[in-house]
Amino acid sequence: MMNHTFIIAQRVLSQLKGDRRFLTLYIIAPLIIIYFLKLLIDTLPHFVPVVNFTLPVCAFIVHFLSFILCAILLVQERTRGTLDRMMIAGFSKTSIIGGYTLGYFGLATFQAITSLTESIWLFNLNYKTETILLLFSVIWLLAIVSVMLGIFISTFAKHEGHVLPFIPLIILPSVFLTGLFIDPGRLPFWAEIIGKCLPLHYAVNIIKEIMKPEYQVTSTFIDFGILTGYIFILLALASFTLKDTE
Amino acid sequence: MNAIEITNLSRKYGKILALNHMNLDVPEGTIYGIVGSNGAGKTTLIKALVGSLRPTSGFVKVLGLDPLKDKWKLRMQIGYMPQMPALYDDLSARNNILFFGKGQYVTDLKNKTDEILSFAELTSRANDKIETFSDGMKKRVSLCCALVHNPKILFLDEPTAAIDAHLKMQSWILFRKLAQSGVTIFISTHQMDEAMLCDKVTILQNGEILAVDTPGKILQRGKTKLKITVNNETKITIIDSTSGDLATELKKFGLDKNISSVELQPDNIEEIILSIMQEKERGGK
Repeated sequence: MMNHTFIIAQRVLSQLKGDRRFLTLYIIAPLIIIYFLKLLIDTLPHFVPVVNFTLPVCAFIVHFLSFILCAILLVQERTRGTLDRMMIAGFSKTSIIGGYTLGYFGLATFQAITSLTESIWLFNLNYKTETILLLFSVIWLLAIVSVMLGIFISTFAKHEGHVLPFIPLIILPSVFLTGLFIDPGRLPFWAEIIGKCLPLHYAVNIIKEIMKPEYQVTSTFIDFGILTGYIFILLALASFTLKDTE
Repeated sequence: MNAIEITNLSRKYGKILALNHMNLDVPEGTIYGIVGSNGAGKTTLIKALVGSLRPTSGFVKVLGLDPLKDKWKLRMQIGYMPQMPALYDDLSARNNILFFGKGQYVTDLKNKTDEILSFAELTSRANDKIETFSDGMKKRVSLCCALVHNPKILFLDEPTAAIDAHLKMQSWILFRKLAQSGVTIFISTHQMDEAMLCDKVTILQNGEILAVDTPGKILQRGKTKLKITVNNETKITIIDSTSGDLATELKKFGLDKNISSVELQPDNIEEIILSIMQEKERGGK
């Protein structure tokens, strides 16, 4: 089965390599959006603590694009009939999910590096190497969670259009309820609970903690653990919902 | 021995009965045709046979195996060519075949791929991307993907739909070669001329079997229009499509010396199948 996972990962990578439009969207689009964020922030008065939400917003952009693009590509497998064909040709659903995750692993890493590097450079953020590595690991983990979320959501979609309703359902609440712009503790209790169900909440929590001068790694262990847990939970859910029999 | 055994198979999609208590046996080594219009249940039947669809009721055995319980064992022995090409446009023909072949753990895959490309007369285009191929060429690559692991049964879902007459003829030459090598071919089509090329045919409508027979016998179920012209006056009579019926009819005329011509216009396969369907509908009302 591991062999099948690598075969699918290899195919996903070769597909990504050959699809320049996709690669441009996946790598260049976040960089452009982060630059737009910079333009927006430059218009704000100096007393606004912009540093508090620049990196969380970068994390959100990575989260959104990784989710949407992975979901759409997997739905395309279904609409083209290649998903069915793979299963009938002997590939198990576990190897398909594993192959997709592995295929996107490198891309998610690359996206996390480029987005973080641009943010640090554009916003003149001066952090120690350890802090930058920690920030990278959060955005990278979030990118992997987003890929897993994309795989999971794609199992509910019969065509690309079916992915769109999940944007207002999952992605947009992340903007308002996870602490991207405000302290989620000031939200009504029920809204705070919804926010806590979304993976971006934990990534934003960690980023905000890391940026504090008195930051201790131990204070974010739980958030790191939950973010990693999302990967396994979504993997298990996707394995359950991806059916090889109608 | 039967390659496929279907017992009382039904499948519902909500309130729609796509397959209705179907019973069917397919002998090994035959080209078996499932003929029916769009929505007759052909694709549903093939999906149930390859194990990608769970029947609502009934049983299916393919090569003596249950397509759901023994799916991994069975999938190594069957080839499936879906209705749409189901190929990766960004990969070459060769790489598509290699990818699906790897799923089946084919030994000596590279040589097998070359052999199958040559068999399908695709060697010269082997390294071209699928996005540059015509629909007919894509169908042939799709067939190669279904064949690379030397399956014992090949399921072909409308393999020649939307391709030109020349390619269709080439495809059928391929199918016949495969059948001669012992492969059972289970083929769905809505093109009646193709039904004539099968060893045995099942006519399907609204998930129900209307007729199971050889194409020749199905042809005999049609009527023949007998036009007899006597002294420039033409008389048209409808008779059964057998030589005995023709003789009986001609005896009425004593084969008079004034009969200048006897012209036979038998129903073609499309007219026969259409009339079988209409008869069934009338019977159902």
